[in-house]
Amino acid sequence: MNSLWRSLILIFFCAASGLCLAQLQVTGPLQAGSGATLQAPGSGSTTLYLFGPGGAGKRTVQRGAIALSADELKTAGRYTAILDGSSTSFFVHAAPLQAISFIARPSRVPTAASGAVLGSAFLFDRFQNLVLTPAPVSFRLAVEGTMGEERNVTAKDGVAWVQLNSGRRSGPAEFVAASGEIRVRRIVQQVAADPCSIRMQAMRAPDGNVLVETAPIQDCSGNAVPDGTIVTFASVDAAGRSTVDARIKRGFARAELPASRSATLSVAAGVVLGNEIHWGGGQ
Amino acid sequence: MIDQASHRSEAVWLAALGLCILLGFASTIHAAPPAPDPSSIIQSFDVASATPRPVEETTALAIQRDYTQAWQSLVAALEQNRAEMLDENFIGGARQHWQDAIHAQQQNGLSRRIVDHGHRVRVKFYSLDGSALEAIDTADLEIQYREGSQLLSSERIQAHYLVLLTPAESSWKVRILQEIPSS
Repeated sequence: MNSLWRSLILIFFCAASGLCLAQLQVTGPLQAGSGATLQAPGSGSTTLYLFGPGGAGKRTVQRGAIALSADELKTAGRYTAILDGSSTSFFVHAAPLQAISFIARPSRVPTAASGAVLGSAFLFDRFQNLVLTPAPVSFRLAVEGTMGEERNVTAKDGVAWVQLNSGRRSGPAEFVAASGEIRVRRIVQQVAADPCSIRMQAMRAPDGNVLVETAPIQDCSGNAVPDGTIVTFASVDAAGRSTVDARIKRGFARAELPASRSATLSVAAGVVLGNEIHWGGGQ
Repeated sequence: MIDQASHRSEAVWLAALGLCILLGFASTIHAAPPAPDPSSIIQSFDVASATPRPVEETTALAIQRDYTQAWQSLVAALEQNRAEMLDENFIGGARQHWQDAIHAQQQNGLSRRIVDHGHRVRVKFYSLDGSALEAIDTADLEIQYREGSQLLSSERIQAHYLVLLTPAESSWKVRILQEIPSS
């Protein structure tokens, strides 16, 4: 009688907890693209169903140690194996870092600008899974022949980011994100910032007009302000105000202002004002 | 006299009929289900820990709308085995992986039915230039695994997804949707 009760209690607990169903167990590195083994008790053939974030399959297997191929487990995430009405879930993690997706902004930046260069690096394995284990990432921004700026960051949840100052020298700057052997390069064009100061001189042109010409125009780091930048010359005399826009060409800007017996000449580029010249009269 | 009376009763009858139609129409309008709230699956959307840039309110609303649509399309695509349903809301690795899964389901006569009980989303990273946003989504899901019409297994899970969204022309798209173990 006692054994009958014991059996009934055992059956009850089995049914309630599901412990008496076939126990499935997955072993292996559980890393994307590495394969694993599913342990299923018993013998004989049955059907295995495997659902994952990058696939779903059904195949006939022999109970016991069932090999799950590397190809079946190449996407990181949760997998559910179903066999004989029992199921088990397991996680596959990303494989080692294989690629960095690097977003660098902007593509063109003025020199010596504080916090103007942004970089975000996303770490991926060879199956396009985000690599979530913390990994050191170094960012470096430099024009060839300069020290540039370097920052080391630890990627968190597959992302590392940086905000850097642009360098003092104009030219194409290499912006590199690297982790281990993986290295990705972007080019950020550093261009001269606003002119630091503008100096001009004036002389009489053969036709009587006033010829004005600047000294080489540079930013505060000594970089030549790019050709094509507009410089405005102005002349104010008794007749009114005349302005001429000229583009910088080979580092200089020059223009002819209307002839005047007495005028105040000025020069400006963007928000930067240059020197003033009092032309004629007592000059 | 008889004519007048019959006209009156006809008018009353028509008025009553009109009223009935109006009331019926009104009740139909009233009984119609409210337009689905597109943000209904998002139970909470926490941007307090977003770094290095705070998430603007309009951006947060746009992301909730687009992430909701992404999940709705994923649920429908996995159930109906229609990979093209992901084109609107998924891009890159996420689209590739889930489309592969759907094609494999289709080939094997399998499907997944997901009953979505809601998401709690916590934004962790929003890039300074606004070009990427990473979040952790805790989703309450009931997943039924099916072969044809036969239910193979079902499970109710608290799933944690690492989500990477990037802006496209007019919406945010899911670039990574990677389930991670609970920490």
